[in-house]
Amino acid sequence: MLNSTNSHRKDPQADSSVSLLPHLEAKIRQTHSLARLLTKYAEQLLQEYVQHQGDPFGQPGFSPPRLPVAGLSAPGPSHAGLPVPERLRLDAAALAALAALLELVRRRQAELNPRAPRLLRRLEDAGRQARALGAALDTVLAALGAAARGPRPEPPAPAAAGAFPAKLLGLRVCGLLRDWVSRTEGDLGQLVPGGPG
Amino acid sequence: MDIYLSWRRPSWMRMRTTSGVRWLLATFILLYLMNQVNSQERGASHHLKCTTNNLQTWDCSWRAPLGAGRGTLYEVCVEDRPRFCYQSEKTNINIPALSPGDHEITVNPLHEFGYSMSKLIINEKDVSLIPSTPEILNLSADFSTSTLYLKWNDKGSIFSNHSNVIWEIKILRKESMELIKSVRYNTTLNGKDTVHHWSWTSDLPLECAVHHLAIRYYIDCLFPGHKEWSAWSPVKNISWIPDSQNRVYPQDKVILVGSDITFCCVSQEKVLLAQIGQKKCPLIHLDGENVAIKIHNISVSANSGTNVVFITERDMLGTVVFAGYPPDRPQKLTCETHDLKAIVCRWNPGRPTALVGPRNTSYNLSESFSGKYVRFQGVEAFMNESYQLLFQMLPNQEIYNFTLNAHNPLGWSESTLLVNITERVSPHTPTSFRVKDINSTAVTLSWHLPGNFTKINLLCQVAIKKANSIQEPRNITVKGAESSSYLVAVNKLNPYTIYTFRIRCSSETFWKWSKWSIEKQHLTTEAIPSKGPDTWREWSSDGKNLIVYWKPLPINEANGKILSYNVSCSSDEETQSLSEILDPQHKAEIQLDKDKNDYIISVVAKNSVGSSPPSKIASMEIPNDNLKVEQAVGMEKRIVLTWHPDPNMTCDYVVKWCNLSHSEPCLMDWRKVPSNSTETVIESDQFLPGVRYHFFLYGCRNQGYQLLRSIVGYIEELAPIVAPNFTVEDTSADSILVKWENIPVDQLRGFLRGYLFYFEKGERDTSKMRDFDSGRSDIKVKNITDISQKTLRIADLQGKTSYRLVLRAYTDGGMGPEKSMFVVTKENSVGLIIAILIPVAVAVLVGVVTSILCYRKREWIKETFYPDIPNPENCKALQFQKSVCEGTSAPKTLEMNPCTPNNVEVLETRSTLPKIEDTEIISPIAERPEESSDAEPENHVVVSYCPPIIEEEIPNPAADEAVGTSQVIYIDIQSMYQPQAKPDEEQEVDPAVGAGYKPQMRLPIQLAVGETAAEEDLDKTAGYRPQANVNAWNLVSPDSPRSTDSNSEIVSFGSPCSINSRQFLIPPRDEDSPKSNGGGWSFTNFFQNKPND
Repeated sequence: MLNSTNSHRKDPQADSSVSLLPHLEAKIRQTHSLARLLTKYAEQLLQEYVQHQGDPFGQPGFSPPRLPVAGLSAPGPSHAGLPVPERLRLDAAALAALAALLELVRRRQAELNPRAPRLLRRLEDAGRQARALGAALDTVLAALGAAARGPRPEPPAPAAAGAFPAKLLGLRVCGLLRDWVSRTEGDLGQLVPGGPG
Repeated sequence: MDIYLSWRRPSWMRMRTTSGVRWLLATFILLYLMNQVNSQERGASHHLKCTTNNLQTWDCSWRAPLGAGRGTLYEVCVEDRPRFCYQSEKTNINIPALSPGDHEITVNPLHEFGYSMSKLIINEKDVSLIPSTPEILNLSADFSTSTLYLKWNDKGSIFSNHSNVIWEIKILRKESMELIKSVRYNTTLNGKDTVHHWSWTSDLPLECAVHHLAIRYYIDCLFPGHKEWSAWSPVKNISWIPDSQNRVYPQDKVILVGSDITFCCVSQEKVLLAQIGQKKCPLIHLDGENVAIKIHNISVSANSGTNVVFITERDMLGTVVFAGYPPDRPQKLTCETHDLKAIVCRWNPGRPTALVGPRNTSYNLSESFSGKYVRFQGVEAFMNESYQLLFQMLPNQEIYNFTLNAHNPLGWSESTLLVNITERVSPHTPTSFRVKDINSTAVTLSWHLPGNFTKINLLCQVAIKKANSIQEPRNITVKGAESSSYLVAVNKLNPYTIYTFRIRCSSETFWKWSKWSIEKQHLTTEAIPSKGPDTWREWSSDGKNLIVYWKPLPINEANGKILSYNVSCSSDEETQSLSEILDPQHKAEIQLDKDKNDYIISVVAKNSVGSSPPSKIASMEIPNDNLKVEQAVGMEKRIVLTWHPDPNMTCDYVVKWCNLSHSEPCLMDWRKVPSNSTETVIESDQFLPGVRYHFFLYGCRNQGYQLLRSIVGYIEELAPIVAPNFTVEDTSADSILVKWENIPVDQLRGFLRGYLFYFEKGERDTSKMRDFDSGRSDIKVKNITDISQKTLRIADLQGKTSYRLVLRAYTDGGMGPEKSMFVVTKENSVGLIIAILIPVAVAVLVGVVTSILCYRKREWIKETFYPDIPNPENCKALQFQKSVCEGTSAPKTLEMNPCTPNNVEVLETRSTLPKIEDTEIISPIAERPEESSDAEPENHVVVSYCPPIIEEEIPNPAADEAVGTSQVIYIDIQSMYQPQAKPDEEQEVDPAVGAGYKPQMRLPIQLAVGETAAEEDLDKTAGYRPQANVNAWNLVSPDSPRSTDSNSEIVSFGSPCSINSRQFLIPPRDEDSPKSNGGGWSFTNFFQNKPND
């Protein structure tokens, strides 16, 4: 729990141990709960996705290289030293990119697995949820006085010409969703009263 | 090619001659060889070879002579007429094709000294036809399909004649140019240059390896010379220009299930592993690091395809293949219309293709007469799911010829259908369905039907259903209209009845019904009752009251809710009306005099609309003297009554019936039967099996009813539920008289057919479990079929024997339960008398003889047994001082001590008990407690008498805990002369009330072996000890009435001390008993019951 004054809130990057207004605290708690819930959903989505791609997807030991996704980077260890608001800003940007990528993945899966309505519904929901979590993060950042820097550009659509690269891209996007939502949960946890921060 | 050579002989050779033949031959050979050597050395042209590639010019070549320089000019002459010559600096020359036959050709090197001219003979047959080298105009590739396209010119213009041409095409792969395919392709030359096209699909994707191609050809024409293949064309090749990315080919290919396919990977780094799905595949190495895998007989893919993966050290490459099937022929193609506006065609896709998404089957429905079509771009349908397409109807067109085409990446199929759409009308579900009353038996139905049916008639079906009846369909034809409401009338309905209506429609040329409309319930209006109620009457027993009964009208006759009934009574003198009787009362009692007048009773039912016709019945009963009560048995809850036709009966017969067990008046129900009937079946849910009913058949005449038959019967007979009560009226030594009572009708449950009487020897305990139905030979059975018989004497029995008697009643429904009792016959008195008198006579005789002998020998007996004893007092030697007994201390000898008397005299007091006679002795102690507590279902009658028992207990705390009681029981035999049949429970005698002989002390009786030691201790302390071990006494007395009770542990007979014994004590004046001939007294007891002296 952070105990500080409003002046501290104007400079949230200086110290995360600032005092928060009750409504901000509630918003952080709410967003943190959302992130925790979406972490579970993201894990379920990944499992569901793998089930519908055929072998060797889902086989033990199947670990395709983590190819870079245009417009989206993986949460890296280099972010560890960043202040929490900066990390949240990165989380929000990644979630926005993920929402667009998930829509792309859903479209490809609609061609490959049109008879897997649950997977398609989960992909669609995941896009909306990522967007909602990103918006909630933006709200928190704005409340902390660290609003996002301008409109985020839409990530370029990855060139996934074939079905197999599309499957790999979907796998990668689902994995990134899980990683980013999980990291968002951790970052918000540092702001939550009683959290690790 | 044969070349004929000739040469000019040198002059020096011509001058030489030989004489002998042999010499000449040798010389000739030698000369020839020398000439040959000269020719080589000096140079003469030969080896002329001619070819043609167009059959018009020959290209003849020869070998230059040895030593001839490059600039040698040759003159070649064809020595034909006219002769023509050519000069050439080369060793070949083109000449026009020569005519068939031999031609001499001279080749003469000009300006060359020392070289001779060669003469050669050439024939067309020696000329070779070698087509010119072909040239590939173009070689291209479609990489998506791995197909090579070849284009070349056959240069047919140079051949004037038509000729067949065989083209050979060879395909080589990889940089090492491995031959992978060689195919032949036939064409014809038609005098013109023709460009030919040929394509070939590679099993290996073209991207993965360079492919080379070359062609040659062979002209198969009428040419006498030698024909040869042309030279191979220059090789053309196709290669993929790889981009920087590693890729796997083919990408997302759709193939037929079961086919073979090769995948290749263009990679810059070494491929470590390749697999399809889970299966690893051996690698086929291509140029560079490229590899391929070959899959045979591929199996059907999942929706998302089959993954093919190549794994390098740093990357994972892959592709997806979709193995499926071409579309099946669309099945069950049907087209119909619901509204004559649009045609709906439905079909079944048949076998699934396993291809989905963009690879799914698409359908195209076209109509040939109009040329119109509609497309169906697949929604995802699962197996056996029906597809449908809407085709808008065309004005003034009724016949449609549909073709449904299905296609996917693997092929196509189609189905056709020719249909007259006016005969394929299946209207929509009727809506706005309503019902309205017309009258009590008719309603109107209205409904709406969307669609343009102006050109057809509609066939509609109305389903009419009322409660508890089947649905009645009625078909109605109406003229079709456009999106209109329709109205029809439905009649022949019942008044005041709830109907459920619904409707469906089709075209008059029936194809399919529409779905049913919603149901509408409707209650028709009331009408007057159509009939009077079914009426019957009964006179009261005193004949003063007439009770009129009527049944409620059935709903189809009441035509409404019956509110009340009017009952009137008319005679010749008067008409009497009762007040209105409200429903649901269905009887009325009228005070009438049965003997005074005959009356006609009239009953009218009324509802809200009106009154029913009157129902009339006469009160008079015509007597019938010849009436007998008959019996009848029904079947399955019904009974059939038949009668002879009686012409006197002018109106209906009436059958009424009642339950006999019910009180008066006897009326359960009645039924009227038409007068022309001779039988009726009475059936009622109220009938129960095993219940006796009384049926009365009345015949109806004008003046009244006459009872024709009276029948008692059962719907089904059952076995009696009780056994007849029976008693033993008399018992003798060899017979028993039994008497029984009737069973009540309600417990008989059928017509009594007889009794079964069983008897056997046996006592209560031993025979209680025996079954009389087991057919044992020792059981005697008497079947009494005369049901009026109520007694039975059983003879030829044994005296003083216990018999078990059982009586059962039976009907046609089965055997009833049994009732049993035990009876003991009396003993034979003659044998008893003999048994008493003989021992008495013998004893008297022995006593008399003994007395006589003793009297006669009394002196001898005295001398022997009682000699005189001398008196010691008279002996001086034995003189003692007096008063030795008075406490003197001086010693004395032979002094008898008279001061300690040692004997006990027992005085027996004679009881004044009555005389005792006995046939059976029962000791309450001998009865085991378990037995006495058992409730016997049978009436076990034991003819016996137990006198009061006096029981005295000697306080002995040590023994009370270990032993039972000791008793001596006196049984009055006298009472046994009065045989009694008593239930078993009455035979229990309370031992506390017993009185009689009392033993001087109680002897403890050991019950448990483990208590022997305690008994021994007891023996040491007790004042009186029996002479023998009590346990060793014989418990069975052979002449005891209860000798069969060997299980008793506490009963002892014949004890010398009368302890724990059961004895008959015969009073001294037994002979004075008025009935002293009774059994149960044994001769042995006479001796044993003497006092123990």
